Amino acid sequence: MQAEELLNTSRSLGEALRASESVQKYLKALADCEADPEAADLEKRMLAMYNELITRQQCGETLTRNEIDNFNTLKRQVYQHPRIAERDAALTLVKRYFAEIADEVNFPLGMEFPTLAQAAKV
Amino acid sequence: MDLQLNPMPVPAAVKADPRQAAQALGRLLRQTPEYEAFLKELNVVNNHPAVQKISTQMRSHQNALRWFQGDMDDHEASLARLETELEALAVVQGYRQAENTVSQMFTEVDSVISQAAGVPFAANAKRSGCGCGG
Repeated sequence: MQAEELLNTSRSLGEALRASESVQKYLKALADCEADPEAADLEKRMLAMYNELITRQQCGETLTRNEIDNFNTLKRQVYQHPRIAERDAALTLVKRYFAEIADEVNFPLGMEFPTLAQAAKV
Repeated sequence: MDLQLNPMPVPAAVKADPRQAAQALGRLLRQTPEYEAFLKELNVVNNHPAVQKISTQMRSHQNALRWFQGDMDDHEASLARLETELEALAVVQGYRQAENTVSQMFTEVDSVISQAAGVPFAANAKRSGCGCGG
């Protein structure tokens, strides 16, 4: 009975969060961003360049000034892209809202639910 | 006379208030036997003389490191040794086990919330540790 109640309450919290304005705005911004080929390509290129540079650096190679400048230019392009900026701004609001909601869970526990939920060892 | 009560029609979509749902969830989690056991173990650990002794010694080395007093390598080695000693204590192992049981239960709860929300909950609800707004 308790497990079922826990499951229902968790689901009901999730559904209430999904219906909230901040989550709705974020999900829309995320879908818009994923549907924009330019935004998707920019992020893909940035991730590929980051992985390549970090791998070379970890192997002891010194990166040139030009390579670092190129990466920073691409990073700026990514974060200035309107769809990506919209998605990131919407996610920031979701995070603020989720932290407030988590406080309501934390209070009766006297501990941080998010921290404990992410600390499990397999 | 045969009385039959007609149930009140349930609204098709009852919109739950996230804050109330979160409070209810917190209360339910607090009442689980796993969480009760975890709090009990925490209390045992906090009041155990060996834990208190090791914790005091650890704090002393941490303070010395913070204020650059004495040999940094010695302090770091002592801290590592004390941490191993602490984790080896039966009371601490009992606490870790209870903590992990609660963590696994919370991970499952988080997974249900996140799936219904469409966005990972716990990962996005963690506050930044520094308090600098970052």
